[in-house]
Amino acid sequence: MLEYVKRLENRSRAVSITASLLLVMLIGALDYFTGFETSFSAFYLLAIGFSVWFVGRGYAVFISILSVAVSLAGDLARGAHFSNPFVPVWNTVILLAFYLAVVWLLAILKSLYRNLEGMVRQRTAALTEEIAERERLERELLEISEREQRRIGQDLHDSLCQHLTGATLAGQVLEEKLAALNLPLAADAGNMVELVEQGINLSRKLAKGLYPVEMAADGLMLALEEYAATASELFKAACRFDCDSPVLIHDPATAGHLYRIAQEAIVNAIKHGKAKNILIRLEAGEAGPILSIKDDGIGLPKPLPEKRGIGLRIMAHRSTMIGGTFSVRADDAGGTLVICELPAQTHSENPTRG
Amino acid sequence: MDKPRIKIHLVDDHPLVREWLTNLINRQPDLVVSGESEDAPHALQGISATQPDVAIVDISLKLGSGLELIKNLKTMQPDLAVIVLSMHDERLYAERALRAGARGYIMKSETAKKVIAVIRQVLAGKIYMSESMAAVFAERFVDGRLPASGSLVEQLSDRELETFQLLGRGFETRQVAEMMKVSMKTVQAHCAHIKEKLKLANAAELLREAVRWQENHPAS
Repeated sequence: MLEYVKRLENRSRAVSITASLLLVMLIGALDYFTGFETSFSAFYLLAIGFSVWFVGRGYAVFISILSVAVSLAGDLARGAHFSNPFVPVWNTVILLAFYLAVVWLLAILKSLYRNLEGMVRQRTAALTEEIAERERLERELLEISEREQRRIGQDLHDSLCQHLTGATLAGQVLEEKLAALNLPLAADAGNMVELVEQGINLSRKLAKGLYPVEMAADGLMLALEEYAATASELFKAACRFDCDSPVLIHDPATAGHLYRIAQEAIVNAIKHGKAKNILIRLEAGEAGPILSIKDDGIGLPKPLPEKRGIGLRIMAHRSTMIGGTFSVRADDAGGTLVICELPAQTHSENPTRG
Repeated sequence: MDKPRIKIHLVDDHPLVREWLTNLINRQPDLVVSGESEDAPHALQGISATQPDVAIVDISLKLGSGLELIKNLKTMQPDLAVIVLSMHDERLYAERALRAGARGYIMKSETAKKVIAVIRQVLAGKIYMSESMAAVFAERFVDGRLPASGSLVEQLSDRELETFQLLGRGFETRQVAEMMKVSMKTVQAHCAHIKEKLKLANAAELLREAVRWQENHPAS
């Protein structure tokens, strides 16, 4: 119904004007043929309402007057008799007042309706913008956190670890000096060196958590293989990494995002999907690299709980950031299949060997 | 008169590491640090000027790659014994460093206790790598995976060998498919067969074997 009204509103004014005039004539004709004893005044409201809504208030006033005139003319033409010549004038004025009141009310209703529509449009636009803004912020947040993690990881690795290495060397020198003096304190110095060495290993582990994929182009293959092994052990599930032909990722940030997508998908599969078998595949697709994670768990719940929605959205954001397309769907076998497809890599290493 | 001390050149971009490594090495009566540089260009200059016996190189340098530096050093001075000191995962870099011509690979976290012994071991003509790395190599050897000997590679079909060689020359799967005028799926199938025949554990290993094979058989 609303749609129909909308369609009529989009017609030109000329059509509406013609239609309302025809309507008045039609009703006037019916009024005339049915005689003056039956009242048709309510039917003229159709034409009046139509003209308020589709043409305008001024025109509706004109239609009201026309309706009253047509009705009165019809009645007089059929030979209506009034005991007092004042009666038809009275009736006509009452009827006209009634019509004008309807015109006025409808006009108000229409303007309210228009306002409401405008507000809805505005709100919708604002909301759409807000959603886009939020997604942009989410992506930015992700990018910042990724960048910061990488920076901290690299600093730990390149700066702190190197500094600690210097400290172990200094400690070693101290140990040897003390040993040369035949002091038993030498052993303590040796212990200290070991402690700092453990510190280096701890920092490296931390750095690895923050920045899991080594710079080299084959780093992702190794990192995913290692993660599959770690996950199998940690989660007591069979997690396998499958990669037929070598897939080189030249951009470390891309490799990092792919790694995180795999990590998130695996944790989801175990934690929410109760999966027992997980297969991570990295393959060289026709266009670019394809990463997929398939599990045999219970699949995605419907509807998705808010928290998991965020996790999936972050994976999708990561994928967007590296120019890929992301999809999560039910696997034919019942589990979940997460796929991230990358376009052809822009940076292609020129073969230098051979 | 004393025997002349063995000269060692340090290449590392961290001053603290250089300083204390120098301190540690110079305590040895027969070893002396003859020079140090913080990046590859200076290392090449310094080493050609001082002609040391040993170079200790960090493979991640601010300027230039350590691996390339090792190759250049070996060309410039073939008898130079290079030892790599690195914070990077040895599983990723040890093999590459040794292939580039290094005689030893030490993780930086183990340097203090081991570096002197490693210098002596390398001077004695031996190769040094950590026990866990040695175990990885030994395992591959026992499994018949290493080296990808001629006999194993001979088992590859012509198309598989072609794939193996192209990968070794640094082409990626898609490029290999284009060059061989076959689909990606076919190349992937070839790779799966190669891995099986050469008893390689994964694609990364396949790639490394292919590169190694190519380096040893550049004419093929």
